Amino acid sequence: MITAQIVVSGALMGLVYALVAYGFQLTYATSKSINFGQGELVMLSAFFSLTLLDWGVPYWLMVPGGLLFGVLLGLFVERAAVRLALEQKSEGWILLTIIVGLLGFSAAENIWGRDDRPFPTPISSDALRFFGISITPVEISVAVGVFALMGLIELFKRKTLLGKAFEAVSADREAAELMGISATRAVMLSYGLSGLVAAMAGILVSPITTVGPTMASALILKAFSVAVVAGLDSGFGVVIVGIFLGALESLTSFYIGSGWREAPGLILLILALAARPNGVFGKAGIRKV
Amino acid sequence: MKKIWVVFLMTIMLISPAFGASSIKIAITGPFTGGSAPMGASMRDGAMLAVTEINAAGGVEVNGHKMPFEVIERDDEAKNERGALIGQELASMTDLSGVIGSVNTGVVLAGDKYLQEKGITKIITPAAGSASMTQWSKAGVPELSIFRFAADDGIQSAMVVEDAIKRHFTKVAIFHDSTNYGVSGRDDLMNQIKKQGNKLQVVATEKFNIGDKDMTAQLLRAKAGGAQAILIWGIGPEMAAVSNGMAKIGMKVPLIGGWTLCMSNYIDNAGKNGDGTLMPQTFIEDPITPKAKVFIEAYHKAYHVTRIPSPVSAAQGYDAVYIFAAAVKQAHSTDTHKIKAALEDLQEPVKGVIATWKHPYSKWNPADEQTHEAFRRAQVVMGVIKDGRVEFANDSDKQQFIENASK
Repeated sequence: MITAQIVVSGALMGLVYALVAYGFQLTYATSKSINFGQGELVMLSAFFSLTLLDWGVPYWLMVPGGLLFGVLLGLFVERAAVRLALEQKSEGWILLTIIVGLLGFSAAENIWGRDDRPFPTPISSDALRFFGISITPVEISVAVGVFALMGLIELFKRKTLLGKAFEAVSADREAAELMGISATRAVMLSYGLSGLVAAMAGILVSPITTVGPTMASALILKAFSVAVVAGLDSGFGVVIVGIFLGALESLTSFYIGSGWREAPGLILLILALAARPNGVFGKAGIRKV
Repeated sequence: MKKIWVVFLMTIMLISPAFGASSIKIAITGPFTGGSAPMGASMRDGAMLAVTEINAAGGVEVNGHKMPFEVIERDDEAKNERGALIGQELASMTDLSGVIGSVNTGVVLAGDKYLQEKGITKIITPAAGSASMTQWSKAGVPELSIFRFAADDGIQSAMVVEDAIKRHFTKVAIFHDSTNYGVSGRDDLMNQIKKQGNKLQVVATEKFNIGDKDMTAQLLRAKAGGAQAILIWGIGPEMAAVSNGMAKIGMKVPLIGGWTLCMSNYIDNAGKNGDGTLMPQTFIEDPITPKAKVFIEAYHKAYHVTRIPSPVSAAQGYDAVYIFAAAVKQAHSTDTHKIKAALEDLQEPVKGVIATWKHPYSKWNPADEQTHEAFRRAQVVMGVIKDGRVEFANDSDKQQFIENASK
């Protein structure tokens, strides 16, 4: 029973890693670039949402407000840090996204201060018991939110014209452009969606983690491991790897000791990169010569 | 040419403090921003309250005329490297009478050596880590200009263990964060358990990192071991995660730990799950004595709050300034070396908000750092969190505090 409880608690945290990792995948699919400041997007959106709540905006209105803010941030990152670098086929986006992230971090420290603050939520955090396992409604909301958002985005990519354009650019940028699809727009879209995902992650985890400038710094490293282990182009692979990593971390700290908590994630990362460099669920890259 | 020299010399005489300063220059340092800010800012605000009171009365009497305090503030941001820079800057000031402050043990270790080199008097408050003072006894320095005005971790861990035994617990879990503060707290707790007769069996020793939020695995280990209480050493946000995790898995045992459990970022983030948490305190925001009432009201009024972010830090900052002022008066000088000598042998009792301080320090003895520690077990009580405020855990302690203050 204890094992089940540990697996469930860890897996729920793992879902959050998966959601942030999904944000990496979205931008990597279209542009082969990653926002290294994704964690700051999570944090800034969470702070913005908290401010909305402080202004008296009701919770259910705050959610779309926070998500919209995330989209705008994503678009800003694309315009400021990624677009020019991509146009010039340079790797400048690596440094630029880190810099934008650092700016966001300093801005948050100056605007909202460096304290960790509680994030009020109408969802109860009193534990419910299922078959002897305690789960709080807040944790359930994380799971529901993660699956709902990822499901909606995947549906959007498969069923709408815009989504199909997105997929086309992901598959083959040159061919898509020849078909009259604007690759730049698709990249913008992917950064906007990635910002949306970051904001959702921020709103979902804040009631559990509290809101502070460093709230995402530990999260982001694990999300990155999840994205790399799963493969940067595998849609739902991140969910499986995320759940697996979260559960593994909790199991390790219970059975081996809390000092070893971070170890399995790193070992997993090394093993995955050694055995399957494109990720466990990734497709092997075929390059025509 | 001669004239220029005369003017030059006169100017030097006017601006040089050695030829008659008009104020007592002190520095207040601490983290006024960042995760430790509730402690740093409260300490500063408490100290400034005392400075304002003293200056309103004209200042401290030095050689027949009254001199006001002049305060410079330095924010160390709880960063060790900032602490070192500030230490160097203050050590280079020739007219500085003393320094009050520091919240973080790491900052103390980085900065105080510069002050000690120049013999500048410093009163550390509220940093509690044992190493702040033991570094000097270990080095065996013959003279020390650093004093502490805080209940050190040795006293605190003794009280935590004592409290657990008093509540008839036999099995406990120790939780600590992975910082210097957390690890040395764990060692202090282990030592105290041994010292107090091994009455507590430690069923789990669990570590967590700064920023960790999911403590389920650690807590389940404690629960599986049958822990009746969790003894904890860490700072606010992570300890709040422990409290919230306990509520989640339905573990209803008390959390007992270092004084940092009274930080507002613990109380706010743990919410109702924080109720019943116990920790050693040197001051409780409860107007039990006329002096405490005046202090609390003045603080609320001056800083527009209804709750002091860290009452312990505020009260310690306040009393530290009064003790420093008493030393200036006794030394008849603003010279930091003479103030140090006066602090080591303070004749007049100082009426503070925490207690009436009688001869708080004595001549430095490298074999016993208690000579430069003001707090003893009697000046510390257990506090408990009730509805988001820290209150006295035992009524007998409350009576003891009232007595201490009226003595």
